[in-house]
Amino acid sequence: MNTNSNAYTVIYTTVIVVIVAALLAFVAAKLGPAQEANTKAETLRQMMSAAQIKPTDELYSTKNAGILQLYADNIEEAYTIGLDGQKNGTLSTTKDKIELIDKLKPQNKAIKAGSGATLPVYVFKSGVIVVPIYGAGLWGPIWGYIAFNPDCRTIAGAYFDHESETPGLGAKIKDEAWFREKFAGKTVEFSSETPFNLSKNAEATGASNAVDAITGATMTSKGLGEALNVWFKAYEKHLGEAQTTNAEEE
Amino acid sequence: MDKKLKETILNPILKGNPITVLVLGICSSLAVTVQLKGAIVMALSVIIVTGLSSLVCSLLRNTIPNRVRIIVQLVVVALMVILVDQILKAGEGTYAIDKQLSVYIGLIITNCIVMGRIEAFALGNKPIPSLLDGLANGVGYGLILVIVAFFRELLGSGTLFGFQVLPAGYIPNNLVILPPFALILLGCIIWVHRAIDKDLQEN
Repeated sequence: MNTNSNAYTVIYTTVIVVIVAALLAFVAAKLGPAQEANTKAETLRQMMSAAQIKPTDELYSTKNAGILQLYADNIEEAYTIGLDGQKNGTLSTTKDKIELIDKLKPQNKAIKAGSGATLPVYVFKSGVIVVPIYGAGLWGPIWGYIAFNPDCRTIAGAYFDHESETPGLGAKIKDEAWFREKFAGKTVEFSSETPFNLSKNAEATGASNAVDAITGATMTSKGLGEALNVWFKAYEKHLGEAQTTNAEEE
Repeated sequence: MDKKLKETILNPILKGNPITVLVLGICSSLAVTVQLKGAIVMALSVIIVTGLSSLVCSLLRNTIPNRVRIIVQLVVVALMVILVDQILKAGEGTYAIDKQLSVYIGLIITNCIVMGRIEAFALGNKPIPSLLDGLANGVGYGLILVIVAFFRELLGSGTLFGFQVLPAGYIPNNLVILPPFALILLGCIIWVHRAIDKDLQEN
């Protein structure tokens, strides 16, 4: 057979591509649930690390099933809010069907567009409230979880993650425990134009809502600072109002 | 084992090493050698991809239309890479490593070693030797990757496989973590390799 004829070439490539596509579709469908379970457990680990449910190392050495159980045991309620600060949905917290808003990119778009957001709020039994943040780093997206004490103002803990920041520089936001630990005890000034200040020498100002940027990772730090402020402003109506209510009670 | 088969397996690891002699696959050896664990997973992934791609392409070699052979090879390689990536993502233990290697797994497609071995070997040889050639080239690549990663993790973080080995007072060298140092190390490895193997020296 002439393997160089036009007809043969066209039919050959078509058949190859169809076979490969079918194979990949089959594999994707087969492995999909396992991959989703991994992503979900990863999100839960990051949230619970921020909420100080257990030390980060321990969370990362716990299997997926244990993580789901731990979350179900510790969560009080989870719900979503709109940009007006009002509740607009609930998220299931039962062990077998835990619901999360872990696709943060569309939420980030909704915040920027000013409508259509369903921002998650996770309230743990310890009273700690966890909210996500999301933004652009130097090479790709960065995101994280910030845990607030019941006063909705003091940060109890934080966890940051990234897709492709430079190892040893920007990647420190995830790799270095000392960086995320610096956030604990800081406060967020929701009503201010910039609720949180992540920049060079910020700590030297003595402000309680400031953390120093990472040396050698200017763009990642800048991106993280922006992500924090954009998302804190989005939660202002919800958490900021809880703040005033708390103050009145006092 | 006959001599030719032995040559097929040993050559890519020693005299015809894809990185130090053919100077292929340099980009990924800069990118994924910050830590040993990542380097080993990357090496295993490349071994599987080169081996299987060579095998499949060799099986198809008499049917592939010559004019589109590169495209067909690319489809086969891409298929293998996506399979490896999907499987790593689905495994509970491998998920974290896949996350760490992120884009680099996908970029195995562009690793010149894979396509290079299919073009140079698999299209003209029987399936079993092709499989062995692919695997051996992956091992040759992985060997260099692990050597580079050993030094970069040791000097850049003071750890091996994440365990602290250098005394706590050691200040990690930030240059070692950055890609340029991998080039310097690779240069040193090529130097040592050529000093030992006189056949590789050019006049």
